[in-house]
Amino acid sequence: MGSSARKKKDKRKDFQKPKLKVGKTKPKADNFTDTSFKARSIVVNQQSLTTVAPSSSSQFAHYLSLASSSKSDSQRRDALSYLTTQLSSQPVNAPIPLPTAILLPKLLPLILDGSSSVRSQLLKFLRLLPAADVGDRAEQALLYTRAGMTHLAAEIRVDALAILEWLLEVAKEDIVICPGGWVKTLKSFMTMMGWATTSGTSKWTSASKASFGKAGKAFPRQLLVLAQFLKAGLVESGAEASLRLSVSSFPLVDVEKHMIPTRSNAFAHLNLFGSSRDEEGEMYIDREDRQRVFQKRFQAAVQVGMENARKEAGEAGRAAAVLNKVLVEGMADYSGGVDDTL
Amino acid sequence: MGKKRVGALEKVDADLSYTEDFLNQYGQYQSQRDIFLASPTTATSSGIISFRDLIDFVAHVADCFPEDTADFAEDLKTILTLHHAQLESELREKIVGSLVLLRRKDIIDSSNLLNSLFPILVATPSKTLRTLLFQKILSDLRTSNSKTINHRLNRTIQTALFNLLTSDRASPKGIWAVKITRELWKRQLWTDTKAVEIMKEASLADNEKVIGGGVRFFLGGDKEREELDDESSDDEGGIDVGKLKHQAGINKKSNKKKKHVEEAVKKVKKNEKKKNQPHPLNFSALHLLHDPQGFAETLFSKHLQNGKSKLNLEQKLLVLSLVSRLVGLHKLTVISLYSYFIKYLTPRQPSVTSFLACLAQATHNLVPPDALEPLVQKIANEFVSEASASEVASAGLNAIREICVRQPLAMNDTLLQDLVMYRKSKDKGVMMAAKGLLSLYREVGADLLKKRDRGKTATMGIKSGSIKERRFGEEEVGGIEGLELLEQWKADERKRKRVERGLPEEAGSDEDEEEDEAEEQAGWNNWDAESDASNDSGGWINVESDAEIEISDSEDEKPATKKAKLDTAAKSETDGEKEKADEVLEQKISKLATTKILTPADLAKLQELRLEASLNKAMGGNKKSQSQYLKELADRHADDPLTADQIEGFAKLRKSTKEEMIALAREGKGDRNEHKSTQAIRKSKKEAEGKSTTNKEKSRKKNFLMTLGKAKYKQKRSLTQTKRVLKGHIERSKRGGKRGNIGM
Repeated sequence: MGSSARKKKDKRKDFQKPKLKVGKTKPKADNFTDTSFKARSIVVNQQSLTTVAPSSSSQFAHYLSLASSSKSDSQRRDALSYLTTQLSSQPVNAPIPLPTAILLPKLLPLILDGSSSVRSQLLKFLRLLPAADVGDRAEQALLYTRAGMTHLAAEIRVDALAILEWLLEVAKEDIVICPGGWVKTLKSFMTMMGWATTSGTSKWTSASKASFGKAGKAFPRQLLVLAQFLKAGLVESGAEASLRLSVSSFPLVDVEKHMIPTRSNAFAHLNLFGSSRDEEGEMYIDREDRQRVFQKRFQAAVQVGMENARKEAGEAGRAAAVLNKVLVEGMADYSGGVDDTL
Repeated sequence: MGKKRVGALEKVDADLSYTEDFLNQYGQYQSQRDIFLASPTTATSSGIISFRDLIDFVAHVADCFPEDTADFAEDLKTILTLHHAQLESELREKIVGSLVLLRRKDIIDSSNLLNSLFPILVATPSKTLRTLLFQKILSDLRTSNSKTINHRLNRTIQTALFNLLTSDRASPKGIWAVKITRELWKRQLWTDTKAVEIMKEASLADNEKVIGGGVRFFLGGDKEREELDDESSDDEGGIDVGKLKHQAGINKKSNKKKKHVEEAVKKVKKNEKKKNQPHPLNFSALHLLHDPQGFAETLFSKHLQNGKSKLNLEQKLLVLSLVSRLVGLHKLTVISLYSYFIKYLTPRQPSVTSFLACLAQATHNLVPPDALEPLVQKIANEFVSEASASEVASAGLNAIREICVRQPLAMNDTLLQDLVMYRKSKDKGVMMAAKGLLSLYREVGADLLKKRDRGKTATMGIKSGSIKERRFGEEEVGGIEGLELLEQWKADERKRKRVERGLPEEAGSDEDEEEDEAEEQAGWNNWDAESDASNDSGGWINVESDAEIEISDSEDEKPATKKAKLDTAAKSETDGEKEKADEVLEQKISKLATTKILTPADLAKLQELRLEASLNKAMGGNKKSQSQYLKELADRHADDPLTADQIEGFAKLRKSTKEEMIALAREGKGDRNEHKSTQAIRKSKKEAEGKSTTNKEKSRKKNFLMTLGKAKYKQKRSLTQTKRVLKGHIERSKRGGKRGNIGM
C-alpha cells in the first residue's frame, strides 16, 4: 500500500502547478539554461593614439610639470636633467621652448627641495636661462632664496647660497634694488651666520650659542657670498661710474636721468598699486640709501662678526679679509648722518 | 618639528639662550610667509618643514619673545582674512587655532580676536571652517566672561551682531547672530535687553531661517536656559569628600591621589560658595522686550497678514504663537489678530489644535468680547456637534473653555447652555471638556447657566449678591496672599502671651498698641534671622491629620440648594449680619497692610503660614477646588505657553499607538520580566522594602516540626482546658493582641 501511494504521489507531481507567491521570484523552469556570461575589459595604462611623436615643446611642458610637481625625487631630478639637456642642446640664438616667465615660478620652489641632487640639477638648469629675463623676476627668486638661506637644513642653506651667487652674477642690480631685496636679504644673512640680534633690548651679552649658526666649512663661503652681495649693493659699479664720467655733452647735465628709463617698471619704487611696504620691504634704489640702511642696522653686527672671523685665520680669515676690503670700499664715500627720510 | 619639541619649548620660560634658535625659526617663518603672500594659491607646503608647523611653533613660544613677534598676530589675521577661501584646510585650522592660542596667552585681546574671526564666520563658504570658528568664538566669549561679566566685550559683540542683522535683512548670514546669541543666552552670559533686541531684529528679518531662529528663541530660549541650569546644578553634588579622604588614607599614597583629593575639596567648596550666592535675577526674554506692542504689531503685519510673506504653515504657526504669547502676556491690543484666526478655524485645517491654542493664548481680559464672540461661535459651529468626531468635539470644547477662562464675557447664554449639554456625552474626552466648561462658568458667570446647572455655591452666591456680574475691563482688588492668616496668628499669639502673664484675653486698645510696638521692635531687631518663628515652632509645620474629606458633586448638592431656597427668608437676616462681619474683616485686613510695615520676621512667618495653609488644603480634599484650578490656570498662563496637547485633552489618549498605551498602563507597576502573579510581585516588593508579614503568612510559613507538638497536645486536651484556651483567645482579640494596643 505504501509503495503504491508513493507512486501515485510521484505521478501527480508532474502535473502540479508551481505555487506563485507575492514578493518571491518565479521558480525557474526545469529546462532553464543559464545564458549569462562574464566579460573582462583590459585597461592599457599608457596608450598613445597619435601616429606622430609628441612635439618637443609639448614634451618640454610635460617634463616641466613633472619637475615641479612630481612626488618622487628621482623623477624630479630626471625631469630637470631632461630640461637641462633640451636647453643646452638648442642652437645658440633660438628662443627657449617656454618663456622664462613660466619656467621660473614653477621651478623656484625647488630651491627648498629636500633632495640635494634635485637642487644641484636645478642650479645647472637655472644657469642656462637667459640673463636678461631673470632680472625682472628677481624679487620672486629672492623670496625662495631667502627661505632657503634661513632653512633649518644645512645643505639647503648652502645650495641657496649658490643660487644667490648665480643671481648676483646674472642680475646684480635688480637683486639689491627690488623690494625687500636689500634689507631682508641682509637680515637672512645675519640669521644664517648667527650674527643676528634681537630687536628687544636685552641686558645679556649674547654669545652666539645657536645650534646652526656657524656651520664649519660653510662659514667662509657664507662670508664670501656676503662680500659679493655687499659689493653689489654698496660699491659703485663700473657702468655707473662711467656714466658719471661721460660728461661729453657738456651743456646738458644728467641727460640720462631725463630720458625714457631702460628698466622695466621704472616707477615701481613709488608703489602706486601694491600694499604699503615697511622699512624692510622697501626698495632701495640709490646706493646712498642702501649705505644708510646698512650703516644703521647691520654695520655694527657685521664688523663684530668679521673681526671674530679674522681672528680665526685660515680660510675664514681670508674670506673675512675680502669682506673687510669690500666694506671699506663700499662705505668709504658715505658721509653718514644725513637721515632725511625718517 | 614634532609635538614633543613644541611642548618642550613651550615650557622654557623666556630663556634667552634659545633666542637665536628662535630667531632662526622666526626668520624661516617670515620667508615662508613672504612666499605664501606672494602667491597664496600656488604656494605648497610640501617642503621639509611646512608653513603650518612653523606657525604652530611661533604661536606656542610667542609669549617668550614679545618684541620679536610683535606683528605675528597681525600677519596671521591678514592671511586669514584675505585668503581664507583659498587656504588649504589644515593650514586654515592651524591659523585659527594659533590665533586662539595667542588670545589665551594674552598677546591679543578678546575683542581683537572676535572682530577678526566673526567676519570670516559670516563670509566663508566652507562648512568645516564655519563650525570651527563658531566653536572658537563661543568658547572665547565664555572664557572671557567666566570670572566676571565682560560688559565691554559683550557690548561690542552685541553691536556687531545687531548691525549684521539690520544691515541686510534678507541675507541668511543673520543666522549666525541668532545662533551665537541663543547659545550665550542659554549659558546665562547674556541676560540683558540688548540680546533680546538682537533676537527681536532677527524675528523681523526677511529670511525664513533667521525669522525661525528668532521666533524659536522667544518661544523656547528661556526653557532651554532653565534646563541647562538644572542640569548643571544636578551634576555638582556628586562628590563625597569624606569617602575620598578615607580612600586616600587607606590606599597607597601618591602625589596623584593627593592632588585628586585636593581638587575634590576645592570643587566642593566652590559648589558651596555657588550655592550661597544670591540667585541671579533672570528675566525671561519676553519680559525684557522693549515695546512689545510695536513688536507684536510688526510681527503680525509683516509675517502673517502680509500676502507676500514666504513663510510656510509651520513657520507661520511659530510666528503666530509668538504673537499670541506676546499679546496674552503683556495684554496687548491687536484687534486684527482675532479676525485673522477665522479662516483657520475648521477641523480640516492642518494642525488646527495649534491654531486653537494660539487663539486661547492671545485672549486676555482686556480683549473686547465683540472680537471674540464670532470666533467662539465659529468654533462651536465647526467643531462641536453630534456629527463630528469625538476628538474634534473635545478639542473644540477645550479651546472654548481656554478662551473663556481668559475672557468669560466672550460667551452668551444660549451657546453656553448648548455646550454644557455635552457633559452627558458618552465619550470621555467630550464629557470632561464640557464639565470643565460648566465648572468654569459656575465660578465666573453662573447667571449664564440654567438654574439647575448652577450648583450650590453659585446659586447661593447669586441669591446673596456676593457673586456679581463681572464687567468688561473690571479688575479685582489686589491684596497680599495669606495676610489674613498672619493677622489671625498675631491675634492668637497676643492672646497666648496675655494668658501666660495672667491677664484677661481681651485687652484695651492702648495696651494693644504698646504691645504691637514692642513686637514690631523685636521683629526689626532680628533682621538677619531667617525666621523668628523657628524658635517656637522649630521649623515644623502642623498638618492636620483628620481633616474630613468632602465630596461635592453637582447632583448631591441639589437637595441642599432646594432647602436653602425654602428658608432663605429666614436666613436672609443672618446672612446680612455675616456679610457685615465679612466687610469688617476685610477692612481690618487692608489695615494691617496699609498701617504697618511688615518686618522681615513677619514676612517669614507669612511664608510659613501660606505653606501650611496650602498643605492643609492639599491634605483636606482629594478633589481640587475649582478656584484652585482656576488659579493654576492663571499661573500657567502668566509665563508658560498653552500647547496643542492641552487643547487636544483626552483625545490624545485615543490617538496614541498601542505601544504607547501599553507603556502608559505599565507605568508605575514595576518591571514584569518574570512571569509571576500580581500577588507574588506585590509580596516580593513588600519583602524588598523590609515590611513585615501578616500573622497568616507567618503561620503558613512556620516549620512543620514546630507545629507538631502543639497539634498532638491539642488532641489530648480536656474540656476545661479547651474552654480556657477559647476564652483566652476571645479576650486577646478584644484587647487587640497579647500586649494590647492601648499604649500605642
